[in-house]
Amino acid sequence: MKGAAALAVAALVIAWLWASGFGWFDVTRFCRIAIDVDLLEGDRSAVRAAIDLVRREDPAAYRALCRWIDRIQEEHHCQAGDPSADPEVRRAQWYNVATLEPTLRRSFEAPACYVRGSRIIVLRRPRTEDARPTLVRARAEALTRLAVASQTFWTSRPR
Amino acid sequence: MTRSHLALGAAALLLAVLAGRYFVWIDPGARCMITIRPSLVGYDNTAIKRALATLQHASPGDYRSVCTHVGTINPNPACGGFGGGCFWHHQGQRGRATIDVSTEHGLIWTVAVIVHETCHARQFHEGRPPGFDLEHECYGEDDRIMRALVVFE
Repeated sequence: MKGAAALAVAALVIAWLWASGFGWFDVTRFCRIAIDVDLLEGDRSAVRAAIDLVRREDPAAYRALCRWIDRIQEEHHCQAGDPSADPEVRRAQWYNVATLEPTLRRSFEAPACYVRGSRIIVLRRPRTEDARPTLVRARAEALTRLAVASQTFWTSRPR
Repeated sequence: MTRSHLALGAAALLLAVLAGRYFVWIDPGARCMITIRPSLVGYDNTAIKRALATLQHASPGDYRSVCTHVGTINPNPACGGFGGGCFWHHQGQRGRATIDVSTEHGLIWTVAVIVHETCHARQFHEGRPPGFDLEHECYGEDDRIMRALVVFE
């Protein structure tokens, strides 16, 4: 019996470490959000700091985040379109973000985006010039806004 | 029932669960089944499943097209390289296609590559004439799905 109890405790500890190590885990609110970052350059702590800021400053937004988002991915950038759809870009095999059409350019610069049909928010990777407090604040604001976008998608689609 | 039978049963069950989780997409409602090859590099096969689920919920037309024209997805970098995709075919192959979809650039890009390569599979099944600008149409398709699904403001 003692052995089984020890095994159960060990399994719980491993599950806790797994959930916390690879994501955001708040057992008091039953909130678990996976966080995917680059294996070598990624920094989950900056993502966790942004979630924590939402939790401290806006409990309603935090509840929405936990309810409607299950994964946060850090990528090079958001992308609301493919520059290669332009034959000129395909021929050149290169493009300058500054010359892209405005919507596409703004998506490349956005701190985060939500993908309709998923419960996933994509965060733009930090740039060298990004100061951490500014980055965390911008991400927290984006998480708050995009959790609402996910809620809107999932609650308004036809069943 | 001996212990070895139980162990065998448990191992078979575990294998079935793992195969179901990682190597096949099944949607009985849409009569859709797509096999997913083992991924040796990059992210795991659930990235493909997340992309298929995204299409299923947000763009049913594109999802139906994937189910109709694609039978197998290879999530390993192939002729499209890291971050690209590829559609392989030969004239004797008329069934549902195999597409290569690399998942290294996350959900948005994975969805876009699936839609792009499905477009090529559809072109092939429709027997598009030589000289038709195949790439232009498919880049337009992945551009369309990205614009439709990505919310950033």
